Amino acid sequence: MKMSIQHKIWLLAAVVLVIMASIWAALTYYNQQTQDQYNNILQRYIQMNDASIASKELVAALNNYLVTPAQEQRALLQEAIDHIRQSKYEMYRLRNTDNDAELSSVVHLMDSLVETTDRTLLLRSENDPEATSTTFAEATRLSLYISEMTLTLIDKELNTYNPFYRGIIERTEALKQLGVWLLLLITFLLAVFTYWFSHSITRPLLSLSRAAKEISRGRFDLRIEVNSNDEISFLAKMFERMRVNINNLIMEIQEKAQLEKELQQSRLLLQESQLRSLQSQINPHFLFNTLDTISKKAYLEGSEETSDLLVNVAELLRYNLKRLNRSVTLYDEVRVLHQYIEIQTARFAERLQFQADIDERCLYIQLPGLTLQPLIENAVIHAVEPREEGGIIRFIVKDEAEHVRVVIEDDGPGIPEAKIRSIVAGVDTGSGGHSTGIGFSNVVQRLKLFYQGADVIHIKSAQGAGTTIILTLPKRGNEEHVQSSDCG
Amino acid sequence: MHIDLKMNILGGQHQLRKTAIITIIAMTLMLCYFTSASIVKLYRAGSPMPAALQEQEVPYRLVLITQEMDTPFWDLVGDSALAEAEKQGISLQIWGSYGSNEDDFLKKMEIAIASKVDGIIVQGLDTEEFNELTKIQAGRHGIPVITVASDVPMQDSLRRTYVGSDHKEAGRLVARELLSDMGQAGTVILIGGSRQRYDQDLRLAGIHDILQHYPDIHTVFAEAPDERERVVSAARDVMNRYPEADALIAVNSNITETLVREIGKRYQQSPFRIYSFDDSPETMELLKAGKLEGMILQSPEEMGRISVDLMVKWLKSEAGPLDMSGYYTNIRMVKAEELP
Repeated sequence: MKMSIQHKIWLLAAVVLVIMASIWAALTYYNQQTQDQYNNILQRYIQMNDASIASKELVAALNNYLVTPAQEQRALLQEAIDHIRQSKYEMYRLRNTDNDAELSSVVHLMDSLVETTDRTLLLRSENDPEATSTTFAEATRLSLYISEMTLTLIDKELNTYNPFYRGIIERTEALKQLGVWLLLLITFLLAVFTYWFSHSITRPLLSLSRAAKEISRGRFDLRIEVNSNDEISFLAKMFERMRVNINNLIMEIQEKAQLEKELQQSRLLLQESQLRSLQSQINPHFLFNTLDTISKKAYLEGSEETSDLLVNVAELLRYNLKRLNRSVTLYDEVRVLHQYIEIQTARFAERLQFQADIDERCLYIQLPGLTLQPLIENAVIHAVEPREEGGIIRFIVKDEAEHVRVVIEDDGPGIPEAKIRSIVAGVDTGSGGHSTGIGFSNVVQRLKLFYQGADVIHIKSAQGAGTTIILTLPKRGNEEHVQSSDCG
Repeated sequence: MHIDLKMNILGGQHQLRKTAIITIIAMTLMLCYFTSASIVKLYRAGSPMPAALQEQEVPYRLVLITQEMDTPFWDLVGDSALAEAEKQGISLQIWGSYGSNEDDFLKKMEIAIASKVDGIIVQGLDTEEFNELTKIQAGRHGIPVITVASDVPMQDSLRRTYVGSDHKEAGRLVARELLSDMGQAGTVILIGGSRQRYDQDLRLAGIHDILQHYPDIHTVFAEAPDERERVVSAARDVMNRYPEADALIAVNSNITETLVREIGKRYQQSPFRIYSFDDSPETMELLKAGKLEGMILQSPEEMGRISVDLMVKWLKSEAGPLDMSGYYTNIRMVKAEELP
């Protein structure tokens, strides 16, 4: 519900007004009622007294008329008779459950009085003075009875209304008490309501100003939240939008600066690589052809060994350039391995002893290109090259039920434990500069990628007791790799 | 450390807030309770005004008039009459004079007639004024009069009927009792009062009815006026004259107590058998104390009930003509030895 501050103020005022008005109305109504009741009762007494007065008047008027039978006296008598009749009807209305019997008596007594008066007048007109005086005496008695009866009636009324009066007093007392409690309740409720109301205005303002402080301090990432449903909330929303906008702008600027920095860096890198590529821009085909030509030349000159060596170098070079990103068969790998060994044999002569034990049935399986050659090269570099007496490198391909086990063994000084760990973890160790360019760790990483993290390479080594590298290549699922790799 | 402190403060604030809310709710509930309680109190305070009577709810207005207001006997009559009136759904008022004030009693009669009640049930008073009122005044207004407890001669008063004890029969009862107690010879003093002469006459007639067959029993009648001193002197006088008397019958109901007290002063042990027609509690006490031989017990409740019932029947013309001679209520003799 949306509710503006103005509405809230109006609501507060309306609530107060309604409470006050209802209390005022209730009090007025109650007072009016009480007063009406008082009036009513007083009216009854007056009316009852009037009955007594009317009967006395009638007797007086009758007496006057009997003494001086003048026209005006007759009129006065008639007036008195009318009065008592009127009074009788009024009395009749005062009947209630308590006074019914007495009131009926009084009313009938009044009737009797009027009748007796009439009879007196009749007897007088018949000129019967004795009977006249008797009936007049009766009328006088009746008038007395009426007075007495009226007194009894008023007495009874007093008795009847006594608890009622007490009730009124009791109620006034209760009203006083109610007034106190009502005042306390309303004061309390109004205090709570006012607190809540003022709080509902000032709280959002407070949080808004807190947010403004944060922004002025330069923190644009704090969300501005104001729980309110009035104008403040609108203000807060606008403020929030402003904050978001500013924040976005700042982020944009920062991103731009970042981009520019990166751009600068990559520009430098680009220049460097351009330089490198310029340096290494010798056509490989030119190199192969040249090597072929040299090989033929050496062959023609009768140096067959040199010629073979050159062919091997050229083959190796071609293989290197071509197969890096492809999967190849174990057969290809083994072939390249032999060529490499031949080259190295030419270099190290007797010092390098290469023993191969290859199970021909396993050569069909696929594995990433240039896997074995760097491992053999590694062995040559560490186990043969530094040692004058040379070294032995064993190469074994063995068929196992689900795997093909490839073992490369040397009798060199071994690899320290820490280094093995870093190799298996795939950290580039930066091995010596005379490799064909593809390091041990590179092989490990490629194997991991190819076999999707399967644990295929194990290195066993002990200080001075040589190194054994075992590759456990799974037979199954190779075809898919070939295809996916080819496609990639 | 700084954050911890802040958290603590926040936690404290939260706690404080919770306490404040609970306090406010408790206060509101308490104030609401007290306010509503005082509203209820205000609402309940005070008694309602008597309901205004819109129409004639009560078909008949009856008046019961006695000469002896607030006596146990008449209280019983009045209560049973009121109960019967309530049962019948009619209005009954009990008027009367205190201490047998005749003028006041007659005035009440006159007022009742002048205020045109539908029926008057009255303790009979055998005086000329009373008869004049019932015969002429009530007759003129067509107001039926039933006498109760005490009768008046029908032809003098034109009362519709009488409800109460058969006094003649009561006299016979006492006489028979006297015979069986005293035997067939002796002197009996009958002391009467000056009031309710008609009742008294009937009682005397009843006594004579029985005793006239026994020539050996002498009866002496002494009249004691109402005033206490004169009752005493009359009693002395008669005792002086007939010291050999065997029994004493208080024919008028109001003199028994005075009489017994006077005899008590004179004799240690009463030489007379005393009988009474009065059944007031005082007389009952005397009977219990053995000062009385026996007394006649009347049925005031029956009187009240039957008189109202008959009046209503008469007004509704249900019962047809009422039995003019009267409707007698139960009487019985109570003996001193019967009492526990």
